Amino acid sequence: MHILVAAKQVLDPDGINSYALWGRLEVSEDGLGFNTGATVPQIINAYDEQAMEAALQIAEVQEGTRVTAVTVGSDTAPDVLKRCYAMGAENTIHVHDDEKQSGNPFRISQILATVAKNLGDVDLILCGRQGSDYDQGAVPAILSEDLGMPFITMASQINFDEQTQSLHVDVVTPNGPETLACNLPAVVAVSNEIGQPRYPSSRRMIQSRRNPPTVFRADELLPGPATEKMSIKLLTVPEVQGNCEIIEGVDPKEKAKHLLQILRERGDLNV
Amino acid sequence: MSDPILVLAHIDETSQINIGAREALGFAQNLSENTGRPVECGLIGADNSSATAEVTELGATKVYTIEDSLLARFSGDNMVSAAAHIVSSSGARIVLIGRHPSTLEFIPRLSRRIDGTCVMNVTRIETINEQYTEIEAAVYGGAARALYQIDSTSPVVVGLRPAAAEAPTPHPENSSDIVELNLELLADRVRVITEATADEGPRLENAEIVVSGGRGLQNAENFALVRELANLLKGMPGASRAIVDEYWAPPTEQIGLTGTTVAPALYVAAGISGASQHMAGCSNARLIVAINSDPDAPIFKYADVGIIDDCLAVLPELIELLR
Ligand SMILES: Cc1cc2nc3c(=O)[nH]c(=O)nc-3n(C[C@H](O)[C@H](O)[C@H](O)COP(=O)(O)OP(=O)(O)OC[C@H]3O[C@@H](n4cnc5c(N)ncnc54)[C@H](O)[C@@H]3O)c2cc1C
Ligand SMILES: Nc1ncnc2c1ncn2[C@@H]1O[C@H](COP(=O)(O)O)[C@@H](O)[C@H]1O
Repeated sequence: MHILVAAKQVLDPDGINSYALWGRLEVSEDGLGFNTGATVPQIINAYDEQAMEAALQIAEVQEGTRVTAVTVGSDTAPDVLKRCYAMGAENTIHVHDDEKQSGNPFRISQILATVAKNLGDVDLILCGRQGSDYDQGAVPAILSEDLGMPFITMASQINFDEQTQSLHVDVVTPNGPETLACNLPAVVAVSNEIGQPRYPSSRRMIQSRRNPPTVFRADELLPGPATEKMSIKLLTVPEVQGNCEIIEGVDPKEKAKHLLQILRERGDLNV
Repeated sequence: MSDPILVLAHIDETSQINIGAREALGFAQNLSENTGRPVECGLIGADNSSATAEVTELGATKVYTIEDSLLARFSGDNMVSAAAHIVSSSGARIVLIGRHPSTLEFIPRLSRRIDGTCVMNVTRIETINEQYTEIEAAVYGGAARALYQIDSTSPVVVGLRPAAAEAPTPHPENSSDIVELNLELLADRVRVITEATADEGPRLENAEIVVSGGRGLQNAENFALVRELANLLKGMPGASRAIVDEYWAPPTEQIGLTGTTVAPALYVAAGISGASQHMAGCSNARLIVAINSDPDAPIFKYADVGIIDDCLAVLPELIELLR
């Protein structure tokens, strides 16, 4: 089986969170990024690392499985591929594209679809359920439409069933776990419930330098002039109003009493 | 230019529209007041009869309905085909969809199928003109907003952020045109092997009181304190993703951007730091109470009432007092 994992580079969400929490998150001059400089690193989107993990888990049981990782992005994006390589991807592909285009999932999907078609033998495309940058979760489902493949999202476990030659996917729903099945080729988006991804091997991390990604330019891969139907014009940071009444008390018991008093005084809560 | 604003909703076995669809109708009504476009609604499900009346009362002037037993689930190929059929029948270029767990699949697929665009977690639609539409969405877990500029010549499917608008007041005297559409449906390429069945009991998203716990609980056993307090308050327990990832609580109890969104009268957060992704799921609570030992924890920026203390000491006291 040939598995293609799509991974994107994002600003570390924990770093962005801490800036936001301290009220110091500021939008950069061009309106499209943040003034966090190098203090917030670019990392692999966590769900994509989990998609890599899912691919490697399939490879462990499915003999002859190859894993290729692909990313679309700017000059720094290949770091994501190094990580995928170090985790166990055999081949990596970097499609060079302007960072400003990253807010257009239709463009990204078209590029990824072309990569998959050009590879010719892809059985399964694994994505993360969403990017932790724009939280859109749009690319995987659009990609399934672009390629005419079935689509399953929120995967927590993926197995290939030899007997029926189909994919069995456990998914997370608000009503509890479910199992779905489809034939290959398919697009599956992975959620964090798949579990902790393996740590990249340091030996392969070093080897990754000698195995650089295959590089393409986005405009080489886009069929005709890209239709720019959508883009992000501006980022802003909303104010969070702080107006908290802190409960006084000498010990936890007294504080608990005061809290219940406050709740009961409100009258609208049946406590 | 008065192509309609179209709200799409799936009708499940309850035969009613969900909270997300009601919010979408409210959002549509506000937009309609500003733009003069009529509000229309598309219903897809196995039995839409009572929902047709419901959305009419909530302001839809025209209701498209597609009914088929193959449309009982809000996912899969047939949902996308049915929705695409409704969008093209209506000629709408603004399609609104409210919160629902299946929108992650449905919205992007639909937008591609109708050769349009989509934006998720939308908070506002700023501008609509012949060239472009400007749409604001919550990004970075809610820590920031992005203004998307979108070509107006093809339809945009808008996935609304929970509580982006309030449900409209029902008007029983309203009437609407009803258009029944038919569609050839096929077996879905994705087969259901084992289906999750909703518990009959109360649902987290409707709870009036939610008591949530986070990593500050220290270990899995202490989540029992959260459950017990929730129980005594006749509410439901919730969890941060950090502890769901540690298996202290099941995924169905996760509150937040990628969990359930709640808007209870009372939200108690014990040992939760208040990351934007968590707050995205509970910031609409009427009263937020935070119990956290760190006075600088960000949760105190969102909370109305705070206790700065060890939650492992405070929770047992609250339980004791309520028993
Ligand atoms: C794409 C994405 C989606 C996400 N979706 C969600 C989501 O849906 N829901 C969600 O919750 N998170 C989500 N997260 C994760 C989120 O960013 C935070 O990491 C998470 O909410 C932190 O959980 P926590 O507050 O329990 O843990 P921590 O951040 O570790 O906070 C623990 C808190 O407990 C306090 N504490 C410690 N000991 C005690 C004590 N004894 N008594 C009282 N307080 C104590 C500490 O001061 C601290 O504030 C998402 C992240 C990403 C990147
Ligand atoms: N630039 C990209 N390069 C590779 N994969 C991507 C890219 N953007 C999105 N994806 C994939 O699509 C998923 C959802 O991303 P998004 O639609 O941006 O939220 C990600 O988790 C990736 O698997």
